[in-house]
Amino acid sequence: MNDIGEFTLLLALATALYGCVAYIMSARGNRGDLYLSADRTPFIVWVCVVISSLCLWKAFLTDDFSLQYVWAYSNRELDTFYKVSSFWGGQKGSLLFWTLLLSTYMLVVYFQNRRKNLKVVPYAMAVILAIIVFFLFLINFSTNPFERIPLPPEDGRGLNPLLQNYWMVIHPPTLYLGYVGFTVPFAFAVAALVSKDLDDGWIRMTRKWTLLSWFFLCMGNLFGASWAYVELGWGGYWAWDPVENAAFMPLLVATAYLHSVMIQEKKDMMKVWNMTLILLTFVMTIFGTFITRSGLIQSVHTFDEATLGYYFLAFLAVIIVASVGLIIARLPLLKSANELDSLLSRESSFLFNNLVLLGIAFATFWGTIFPIISEAVRGVKITVGPPFYNQVNVPIGLALLALIGIGPVIAWRRATFSNLKKNFFKPVTAGIIAAVALFPVLPLGSRTEIYTYITFVLCVFVLTSMFTEFYKGTVSRMGLHDESAAAALATMTWRNKRRYGGYIVHVGVVLIFAGIAGSQAYGIHTEKHLQLGESFEIRGYTITYEKLIAVEATNVKTRIIAQLAVERDEKRYWTARPEKEFYKGQNQPVSEVDVLSTWKEDLYMILADFREDESATIKVYVNPMVSWIWTGGWIIAFGAMISMWPDRLEQRRRLDRVRKQERLFPSPAQE
Amino acid sequence: MQTLPRTFIHPGIFGDTFLLKMFMGLSTLVWISVSQVSAVSAGSLLQDVENALMCKCDDKCGKVLMNCTCSTADKTRGKFSKMLESGLTVEQIIKTQVAEHGETILSAPTKFGFNLTAWLTPFIALVAGGFGVRKVLRTCVGRKDGGDSAVAPTSEPKVSAKYSKRLQDELDGIEL
Repeated sequence: MNDIGEFTLLLALATALYGCVAYIMSARGNRGDLYLSADRTPFIVWVCVVISSLCLWKAFLTDDFSLQYVWAYSNRELDTFYKVSSFWGGQKGSLLFWTLLLSTYMLVVYFQNRRKNLKVVPYAMAVILAIIVFFLFLINFSTNPFERIPLPPEDGRGLNPLLQNYWMVIHPPTLYLGYVGFTVPFAFAVAALVSKDLDDGWIRMTRKWTLLSWFFLCMGNLFGASWAYVELGWGGYWAWDPVENAAFMPLLVATAYLHSVMIQEKKDMMKVWNMTLILLTFVMTIFGTFITRSGLIQSVHTFDEATLGYYFLAFLAVIIVASVGLIIARLPLLKSANELDSLLSRESSFLFNNLVLLGIAFATFWGTIFPIISEAVRGVKITVGPPFYNQVNVPIGLALLALIGIGPVIAWRRATFSNLKKNFFKPVTAGIIAAVALFPVLPLGSRTEIYTYITFVLCVFVLTSMFTEFYKGTVSRMGLHDESAAAALATMTWRNKRRYGGYIVHVGVVLIFAGIAGSQAYGIHTEKHLQLGESFEIRGYTITYEKLIAVEATNVKTRIIAQLAVERDEKRYWTARPEKEFYKGQNQPVSEVDVLSTWKEDLYMILADFREDESATIKVYVNPMVSWIWTGGWIIAFGAMISMWPDRLEQRRRLDRVRKQERLFPSPAQE
Repeated sequence: MQTLPRTFIHPGIFGDTFLLKMFMGLSTLVWISVSQVSAVSAGSLLQDVENALMCKCDDKCGKVLMNCTCSTADKTRGKFSKMLESGLTVEQIIKTQVAEHGETILSAPTKFGFNLTAWLTPFIALVAGGFGVRKVLRTCVGRKDGGDSAVAPTSEPKVSAKYSKRLQDELDGIEL
């Protein structure tokens, strides 16, 4: 099987290379025979990569330690669940997984678009294939997951205990689905530039792809935060680690793109800007991969065998030079009328939204690379940690939050004074009431507390602005169609999926802002060394240490569990069981925290230490409003689903357009 | 569709890049108010030390000491606690750590010398971007106004105040 896996990888590389060249030649030379030949390669590449992936999965599931990769990331005792996820646990497998996702996306693009826009699609397929060639080249010649060990050992080294968590099965694939997904809009953008077909056709063809990739990237970031929260045991969810930053930056740039692209669709403006943003988004996804695989910047996420830095650096350089070169070459064609009716319009608020989003992205990028700059300039390596990002990004983030509320209530094209007065009255009034009501209640003694106060006030402002939009639309529809409020709301949202789906996403973002602010400002924690039966109090909870339990979970894993009774108002409220897991051959035990999560606050318990006399050190965090962050995430998911849901009207319009194009550019088969 | 004459925009308030001014004003206000407070607030001294220094465990966990769960972290915290009890200030403790481990132990760049560029560059970029957006907006609106003036009649149509107000109300209700 391993030979088959290795062979199919080589076959996939050769086919992808051929497909890439053939697509370009067919498009340039208008050769139908070559096009038909190239058109078979996406499926062949996908089949080869799938076979290769199945071979690797089989090696994991059958404990084939003759493969160096399986030996390094699995052992006989590992749960089947984690044997499946070990596939992407290391650098070699993760590159193959990336290629698997990319080739699957390519196949979907192929089926969606083969016989459509024959000017752009062949180039787009060529770009995707070229990127697949790069990854397959690395897999075949630099980090082959099918590399053998001459004398196979009896057992494997095992998966890092921190990766033995159910989030390991969810978080990396979700993040990868986002990262890889941006290849599609990037490929179509490049194809539009090469083919000089620079109307908004490529944007419409890839709109759903962009939304889908954005959705996965957003969810991937939130799942990562959730994983860090329950697994790393430090009471937090975001540490501004370079790799976290690397996943956050494309999300910001893509968000800017999703907003500014609306201006191009409505007013045929900002073509250069949108092109730049989507290219930058893709560059950022590769930059994130570069960080984890170069070892250049220290991160907990960096792979052990991070040796691919130069390859990714070269790849980044090629992408940047080619993209910038193409944009410059096509500047005359990208010029648009660029006419705005007023300085005060939703278009201009989107420009400011872009500015702020890119501001945060730049600050994050700057902080991530500053240690390298410092070392190059001064010869001194420094650390840029959370205090930097919090001080720089929080004020900019507040401006972004304000803009989320301002944007939707400003009219497209031109806002008038009476219009603004009418639309802003309720949100601003609600914001002022919130400011006055919260002022005496919330502590304002530190920078964090002041930021939190401002955040809460802005959240009220933004939520009122969003709900007013829903209210206005619903009331208007009720009057026009004689519908009930629920029916009017549902129909209105369903008929304007993009707009109201977007508003729902904004509501989710507001909850995330509120959750972050509340948990950062009002959290408390304490650490106590307790004998059996001893108690202590924290924010109204009485915590009693009841017993210490040792469980031999498997041959390689021992669990030490501390049982704690949590009382509130003299009633048993919850039984907490934080634990430490000891893995054979690992120096550090892994903490498994226990969390009682409510809408108000999380009670977060960690078994920090224990002794032979059964005394234990317990760390307790009371983190307010953390569940708001996860709830916000699910609301974002719901809103994004609505936005992405296929729209029959839009499809009909698109079909008409495609038919028109096909009449102009008949496919080779028709010729 | 004919666009509204510029006189519909309240000249006193919206004559210039209102959003830019509002954004800059809000940011400055937040920045100033928060900077003032940060100097006053002290918090727990040990927490200040823990927040200012990175964990230096063998695992290279890359976390701020306050968030670190490595086995050596508690020992380090205990050491700093004793140093504070002995009368050393937060700044003195940080200085001794920098002397021992180098600048890399600090959780954020210092705010002097070359490191100042780390703090200032994002804001300089943001302000520069703000001016860029302002310029783009002015150019785009100017172009539109110029374009309109070429085809539009030189004098504004004479509409009665009543119809003007009615049109205004109708337009306010339209979501384009």
